[in-house]
Amino acid sequence: MSEHYLIISMLIGILAMVPFFVKFERKKVQARELVILAVLIATAVVGRAAFFMVPNFKPILAIVIISGVALGRESGFLVGAMSAFVSNFLFGQGPWTPFQMVAMALCGFLAGLIFHKYYAKADSFTGKRKLPLLIYGALSVFFLYGAIVDIWTILAMTPHPTIATVVTVYGAALYFNLIHAAATVIFLLLLAGPMLKKLNRVKIKYGMK
Amino acid sequence: MRNTFATYHPIIEFGFFCVVIGIGMFMIHPVFLAIGASAAFIFAILTGGKGSLKFTLCFLLPMIIVVMVINPLVNHQGVTILFQLKYSYITAESVIYGLMMGLMLTSILLWFSSYNKVMTSDKFTYLFGRIMPSISLIFTMVMRFIPNYKIQIKKIADAQKAAGAAEAKTLKEKIHSGIKIISIMFTWALENSIDSADSMRSRGYGLKNRTAFSIYRFDRRDGAAAVFLAVMTVIVLIGCISGACHVDYFPEIVYAKANLIHISSCIAFALICYFPVFIEVKEVLVWKHLESKI
Amino acid sequence: MEAFRIKNLTFTYPEKTRPALRDINLDINMGEMVALCGQSGCGKTTLLRNMKPLIAPHGEISGSIEFYGTDVNELSQEVQASRIGYVLQNPDAQIVTEKVWHELAFGLESLSMDTKTIRLRVAEMASFFGIQGWFHKNVNELSGGQKQLLNLAAVMVMQPDVLILDEPTSQLDPIAAGDFLATVSKINRELGTTVIITEHRLEDVLPMADRAVVMDKGEIIADDTPADVGAILAKKNHPMFLAMPSPLQTYAILYNEGVGKDLECPIDVRTGRDWLTKLLAGKELSVTELAADEESLPVDNETGKVMAPSIEIKDAWFRYHKNENDVLKDLSLEVYPGEIFCIVGGNGTGKTTTMSMIAGLRKAYRGKVKVNGTTAMLPQNPQVLFTEDTVREELGDEFRKEYELLDIEDLMDSHPYDLSGGEQQRVALAKILQTDPDILLLDEPTKGLDNGLKKELADILNRLKERGTTILMVSHDVEFCGRYGDRCAMFFDGRIITTNTPRIFFSGNSFYTTAINRMSRHIFTNAVNVDDLVELIKANE
Repeated sequence: MSEHYLIISMLIGILAMVPFFVKFERKKVQARELVILAVLIATAVVGRAAFFMVPNFKPILAIVIISGVALGRESGFLVGAMSAFVSNFLFGQGPWTPFQMVAMALCGFLAGLIFHKYYAKADSFTGKRKLPLLIYGALSVFFLYGAIVDIWTILAMTPHPTIATVVTVYGAALYFNLIHAAATVIFLLLLAGPMLKKLNRVKIKYGMK
Repeated sequence: MRNTFATYHPIIEFGFFCVVIGIGMFMIHPVFLAIGASAAFIFAILTGGKGSLKFTLCFLLPMIIVVMVINPLVNHQGVTILFQLKYSYITAESVIYGLMMGLMLTSILLWFSSYNKVMTSDKFTYLFGRIMPSISLIFTMVMRFIPNYKIQIKKIADAQKAAGAAEAKTLKEKIHSGIKIISIMFTWALENSIDSADSMRSRGYGLKNRTAFSIYRFDRRDGAAAVFLAVMTVIVLIGCISGACHVDYFPEIVYAKANLIHISSCIAFALICYFPVFIEVKEVLVWKHLESKI
Repeated sequence: MEAFRIKNLTFTYPEKTRPALRDINLDINMGEMVALCGQSGCGKTTLLRNMKPLIAPHGEISGSIEFYGTDVNELSQEVQASRIGYVLQNPDAQIVTEKVWHELAFGLESLSMDTKTIRLRVAEMASFFGIQGWFHKNVNELSGGQKQLLNLAAVMVMQPDVLILDEPTSQLDPIAAGDFLATVSKINRELGTTVIITEHRLEDVLPMADRAVVMDKGEIIADDTPADVGAILAKKNHPMFLAMPSPLQTYAILYNEGVGKDLECPIDVRTGRDWLTKLLAGKELSVTELAADEESLPVDNETGKVMAPSIEIKDAWFRYHKNENDVLKDLSLEVYPGEIFCIVGGNGTGKTTTMSMIAGLRKAYRGKVKVNGTTAMLPQNPQVLFTEDTVREELGDEFRKEYELLDIEDLMDSHPYDLSGGEQQRVALAKILQTDPDILLLDEPTKGLDNGLKKELADILNRLKERGTTILMVSHDVEFCGRYGDRCAMFFDGRIITTNTPRIFFSGNSFYTTAINRMSRHIFTNAVNVDDLVELIKANE
């Protein structure tokens, strides 16, 4: 059975997302909301182009988290899953796609669940109130995103993962995760405030509030 | 690149990849793996040309070796001991098993590389347009926005530079300049999105019973392909379930005896995997024939 | 029968006291083509949007709008979507999907039509618009003009009775705009679709329109055939005539000075030429030419020597990639301090590339590019400079005297995106002037501006010029360059073909010249702008 962990975990990942998608489809979302979601996803995916001077500096996770905070957990989930999916559409799909989708989706979902109310006002991301989101950003890289995506690496390496394999893979990923976490925190610090404000303005303009 | 397979109906294409990747990840029988990997390799070259060859040689081959080395190091099952490494044994079974796993991973990645060439975004939009209309609409919008945003980012970077902004030199300055660019881009995108939403509403988006139009037609050729692939898949599945294609690698390598079910499911799997290659060859022959008549 | 009947319509935006529309009464007849004119901010867009409640703005409304006898608010969404077609200004933002064919089908999908019907409708429209050739393309591969045609086709597949177009060509170059308007006219004539259009390119629209409706400050001030509307404005001596095509402006200026009162008002080059011929018929013409200054180089007042150029390009060659064709070929150019230098020419000739080379964004691979002083470039779309939520934050705390020139004090607390195109441009100018540039580079500065705003821009540029700033602009707008430029240059195939003062430059061209020159060249040798023509006619009175 163990040789099937990879396909089984892929299937579990895909199936786990189905209820969210179904729920989203049932809601009959308005045009305005669809467009805003599309803007966020596209921004998350192309964001790295603005940092062509700083390699490995990708704002995708930060923007997913901000989406969750601004629009709530379901939107956060969708922006996360779709950003990962579209990003892979451009850079090549692989068996890692479902893992990344689930990981990003969870990051967005939890961000919405925890912080949507906390940062409900447009100008609430200031001073000390910034701290919780920054901490969440750093933790989510290690314990949500990194942890889930590395499952794929582990299962691809060996179908018989032992504690040693797990430790080795997570150890090897530590360096990348550290950079990713640093980037995510910096992005959240600098982008969350202005982006939340801008989203708020458009929500008012659209009459979505 | 020549790619007759990509002219089939998206459902056939998507179904094909689901079957070959699904079975490919499930079956660890050496014959199956060999069939899958070879077909995936040929198809990848057909769709991707030199790029795929480079990908295979520079990335996949080393990966097989890595997986082949790692497995015996962490997995010490098996009865045929090759040699002792410090406190553990390296067994022949786990080396072979590692090779098989590497082969499996290779063929999956090769299938995906063709998948990326064949399943373009509009086919995807079509496939999921009926079952997930809102999400597939978001998807097509995102695919439309992305090139626009890339151009806009370039324009913003140029405009900032030309408006007299100092060039970013330190890491901090570079990050700040990137943040500024993305911030301008995001504002522009959000404000423009109001027009997009208006244009959708103006054209009746949100009315009940939205249909999904497509330019794809499911013709007789697609029907034949569907039947063929479905029958072959059933034969392979019978082989799998009946245990005729079973292999144990540990503690020692044990194959199920080759019988009729086993052989027919191997053949069926080969027919599925090589299907895109067959139709490509057929296409070439047909054209050769047609041209010779002129 | 009227397609639309608007009665006593008054509309006020939330938190505003002054209504945006006041007591509008307007009937639009079936099959008519109506041009709605007026300066930016006069309420045209507000009126148009209120005719389609699906996309109407929020606000307080009184009076009524009827569509074929039914109040628009009682129309179902289906009817609104299918029978009232609406094309917006920005070609890019309106397109939603990735493929041309999908965009065409979008509206029909909403109307829950089956694949077979959609296929037929789409095929019909694609053939009518001549877009079969790019049916399978990605939308991103299209040019701006093609995108706007696609938007039009995507609305027309729904077979609307009325087509509403809100400044549809403001983002297009003149050739694409001409094609687009020709298609609109074809729809009106061949399909009988009622068309309501707002446009600042009135030279092109008025001749096609059955009726012109002029709005000012939320009210309708004239409503008649285009020629009669011109006469009405002239009679009232209403400043709105400045927004009208230049033949009409000439007519109005002279009308108020008692010249040509009995003649019909011209609206385009053809009627303008007739008007001029009739006006001067039987007269002895004593003056047919204005004094034309040859190109003269600016002289330093103190030393009396010719000033050194601020931009000097000699034999410059440029291409984007090693294996591509040259974009600039052997380009030479000199621009002097304190002049407004205009580069005109078609799309893709290398104008914008030249500009970005001067701004330091691109480097010539051969030849010399010397720029004396600091440069600042005003981008075509000023929005690419805005990050902040108010103009004040955008510009910083320090108040600079340039702001007075730019007339932006009232805008300080607005969000940059809530401003009109002209206001955005002024704020962007203020922003780039903060670096105190010696040389100001303008890329298509008149795009999307109506004549009134163009005049304001020209005033600003003149004030900057007086302070010694060198101004270089590239533009498609020959009318603007002919009126306000000090020197003009024709760009073609990667280099400058000819340079001269506008008067000599444009009177030497036969096609690529101003409307005034085209309508008067059979009588006067070198009238280029309205002022020239007025002066010449008066000299012969």
